[in-house]
Amino acid sequence: MRSCLSLVLRNTLRNRRRSSLTVASMAVSLGLLGVLLALYRALFYGGETTPGQAKRIVVHHKIALTQELPVGDEQKIRQVPGVRAVISLRWFGGTYKDPGDPKNRFGQFAIEPASLVEVYPELRITEPEKVAFVAQKTACIASRALADRLGWKRGERIPLVGAAILPVTVDLTLVGIFDNPEGNAVLYFNRDYLRDSLSAGDSRRDMVQQYYVEADDKDAVPDVARQIDAMFDESSYPTKSEPEQAFMLSFVSFLGNLKLFLAVIFGAVTLTILLISGNMLSMSVRERTREVGVLKSLGFSSGEVLGMVVGEANLIALAGGLVGCGLAAALCVAIAGAMRSAPGFTSIVRGLSVSPLILTITLGIALLIGSLSALAPGLSAARTSILDALRYNG
Amino acid sequence: MDSAVEARRLSKEYVRDADRVVALKDVDLEISRGEFLALMGPSGSGKSTLLHLIAAMDRPSSGQVLVLGEDPHALAGRALARWRNVHIGFVFQSFNLIPVLTALENVALPLKLTSLSAKEQMEHATTVLSLVGLGDRLHHFPRQLSGGQEQRVAIARAIVTDPDFILADEPTGNLDAASANEILGLLAALNRNHDKTIVMVTHDLHAVRFAKAVRYLEKGVLHPAGEQPEEWIDRSMSVTSAPSAKNSPEVLL
Amino acid sequence: MAIPLSYNFRNLMVRKTTTVMTSAGIMLSVAVLVASLALVNGLRTVFANTGHPLQLLVLRNGGTSELGSLIPTDSFAILRSKAGIAIDGRGEALVSPELVNVANLPSVDNPKGMNITVRGINPIGIEMRSIRLTDGRWFRSGQREIVIGKSVARRYPTAKLGSRIRFGKGDWEIVGITDGGESALNSEIWGDFNQIASDYNRQDSASSVLVRATDPVTLDALKHSIKDDRRLNANAITERDYYANQTVSGAPLEFLGIFVAVAMAIGSGFATTNTMYAAVAKRSKEIGTLRTLGFSEASILLSFLTESVLIAVLAGALGCALVLPLNWVTSGIGSFVSFSEIAFRFRVDPKTIASGVIFSVVLGVLGGVLPARAAAKKEIIAALREG
Repeated sequence: MRSCLSLVLRNTLRNRRRSSLTVASMAVSLGLLGVLLALYRALFYGGETTPGQAKRIVVHHKIALTQELPVGDEQKIRQVPGVRAVISLRWFGGTYKDPGDPKNRFGQFAIEPASLVEVYPELRITEPEKVAFVAQKTACIASRALADRLGWKRGERIPLVGAAILPVTVDLTLVGIFDNPEGNAVLYFNRDYLRDSLSAGDSRRDMVQQYYVEADDKDAVPDVARQIDAMFDESSYPTKSEPEQAFMLSFVSFLGNLKLFLAVIFGAVTLTILLISGNMLSMSVRERTREVGVLKSLGFSSGEVLGMVVGEANLIALAGGLVGCGLAAALCVAIAGAMRSAPGFTSIVRGLSVSPLILTITLGIALLIGSLSALAPGLSAARTSILDALRYNG
Repeated sequence: MDSAVEARRLSKEYVRDADRVVALKDVDLEISRGEFLALMGPSGSGKSTLLHLIAAMDRPSSGQVLVLGEDPHALAGRALARWRNVHIGFVFQSFNLIPVLTALENVALPLKLTSLSAKEQMEHATTVLSLVGLGDRLHHFPRQLSGGQEQRVAIARAIVTDPDFILADEPTGNLDAASANEILGLLAALNRNHDKTIVMVTHDLHAVRFAKAVRYLEKGVLHPAGEQPEEWIDRSMSVTSAPSAKNSPEVLL
Repeated sequence: MAIPLSYNFRNLMVRKTTTVMTSAGIMLSVAVLVASLALVNGLRTVFANTGHPLQLLVLRNGGTSELGSLIPTDSFAILRSKAGIAIDGRGEALVSPELVNVANLPSVDNPKGMNITVRGINPIGIEMRSIRLTDGRWFRSGQREIVIGKSVARRYPTAKLGSRIRFGKGDWEIVGITDGGESALNSEIWGDFNQIASDYNRQDSASSVLVRATDPVTLDALKHSIKDDRRLNANAITERDYYANQTVSGAPLEFLGIFVAVAMAIGSGFATTNTMYAAVAKRSKEIGTLRTLGFSEASILLSFLTESVLIAVLAGALGCALVLPLNWVTSGIGSFVSFSEIAFRFRVDPKTIASGVIFSVVLGVLGGVLPARAAAKKEIIAALREG
């Protein structure tokens, strides 16, 4: 048996160029397959969630994100069993300095400072900075990515000129810089400041756009979401509550019928690999016909010979699969890094990675191709009589 | 100029698996125009190498060979290729016809390098194929022809550009006795009626009878003219006897 | 002069299985590439067809989207008074304030719901666009009636003539279906400006104002006049540019498609190289023979290179043919700007096909160059002995 293995190995090394090209071709195609699987996983199953994110629920108006909810709802939400903390959020959308420069565009949200860290435990901010944020009405905090991008230091004055729905200017002072795992550029300021900036009769004073709810534990999340929606279903502001990850995933639908697109591409890639690699492996096997005759004349049985031939093909296929997995992993890291500064929802791709399941599937496909493509020519070679095999001129 | 080939101290050696092999050693040879020379010797004696050097398919390690008064090895690249196309017609032991081309297309192939029009090329090739007796097999593929017929196509291909030389490397090696006879008769007729200088490498004693002269090579060394090595004397028949009438192929030469 | 093309063709025929397999890979790569290009092409066409060449869209200063923009009512009069504004047959200035928001309905692709642009518009606004009614009637002012674009009718099962849908503060009745040619307008819902504005608590402002200039020269002057006017604090962009900028919404899919196509092509390229090396090895004697006959190294190289390019081009042509039926497929994509879906048709035109063919030629050359070189460089004697 051992001699068989070394024979197989030596055969593979004999035509090094053919073997390397086959491995390379399979590796590239399988690597692509792995990336597509990872993409599918990230876009439709959300990839990994932080423990904090798993417990978070997003509550917004049932009909559209842009519609508002009354601020009074916050108290009611807090009463729902299973809710640990609630904060309200309102997108501001003001302009900073020259809005023509893409550097100056970033997310701005008016929130309630006190519960921020409770609802976002993965947000890392120092205690004095947090205290300052809660205490000072005109305070604001920015993510590190944003602060680095615009070179802000603590104490920086940041005026934001609102428009559209909220035509007021807020004059903010940066009191803290926080780290968030997503690494995107975002700024939070005090919603009381916004409220006071709007004129007394403005109905928008007491309106928010979203609530972020932190549940007690992640198993309670579906229940809590349901209860919140049931509470407001009949009111003039019906809500839709869903786990944060589902909320982010709903943006994926924006990219058109992506599932179909990915499925079609997946099919095309798999088919291609099958055809190409299969053919290349078959070619090698067919060439072995003469040696098969020699081996049989030496006393190896048809079965043993077939095993060697299929083994050789699988060795190449496995090599291709392993390199392909490595390629997929590397590509995922590269893509995730490149997407760091992508607009909102495509940030899902930041969580792109190859899971053990994906690796298994990829290697499985590699071996399947190896076996299938070697089987037909292998069988015919094993069945050929010794004399015919020796005469084989293919 | 009378001599077709003049080889002076022609040597060829090469390295195989860290061994130095001497294929030809200081060969001095003169072949006159219109000659039909048979080169004989055991395998590995260097006869094919000598043929390749005359056809400029290989470079000598030392020494010189002049073909038709010039040194073909002074040419390079495309010029050398053209020279070969014009002056040499090569016949191989295993015919070496292009399997995907018909007999006619195979014969016309060398003409693609000339300035003849496509129509002229086909006409030429047809004429030559008829000459070797295969006028009715123009559109057959090599796999549809017998060994003897394939070799005749090969010879037709070799003469279609009207070269000065026909160099044949074991032309009857893959043929049965009857076909071999036809081929040798064909070559002899070409030499006799069309003045082609032929150099034929063979170790078939029967083939030698069709040639006008024979030289022996042994381990890269050319024996002096007229001299036969000991071992050959028993087996050889008279070298100068002409082929008998009933061995001639029915060709229209 | 050269080795005849029939030599290459017939050799491809002889090793049919291998040729078919290798070219299948190239065919699929080209298909994916052309499909991706066709997607963006289709998107671009829809946006290129939307917008009048003499019209300007007025948004708030710094705004890039109608959705996030606000133009107060007092600005309307200022805009109407500007020089260079075109006038219609009845002497009315072609200035249309409009209110834009989004509604969410279950669609064919997204049963959970997809955003659709809702536009509150006045009759003057309808006049300023090339759109016609194909079914039913226009909405009446003061009524909760709407018309929907033909793509909305096709892609949203609940949106039928006569049915009701809910957004804003309540229900609306669909009274008509419109056709705007092949433009983004087919993906919109239109209703009476005042009705929609009040539903969204926007009684004293509009999202944007559409303005038409009298001629191209005035268009430029008008644009600057609006931008420089301090009273307005507004930005003006040509309607054409506004829509053209939205093509970027197709960028992620285009990128994905091209990425996949290139990766597949690399895999196919290796396969082509392998196939050609095998062919060169098998035809070693032929190569030696051809050289003996007088064909130069260059002609051998060219011949084998041609053979691999031939495989590639045939495969590429098939790939383009495979994708051609997409021309009749409609899909939708979310615009990053309007935050709602735009329906479009894949568009496989001569330019996309040309790209596909060029792609395959390059692939054929890159895949075949090394084996072709190996064939050319073979020593005659060695070549004759092989095989």
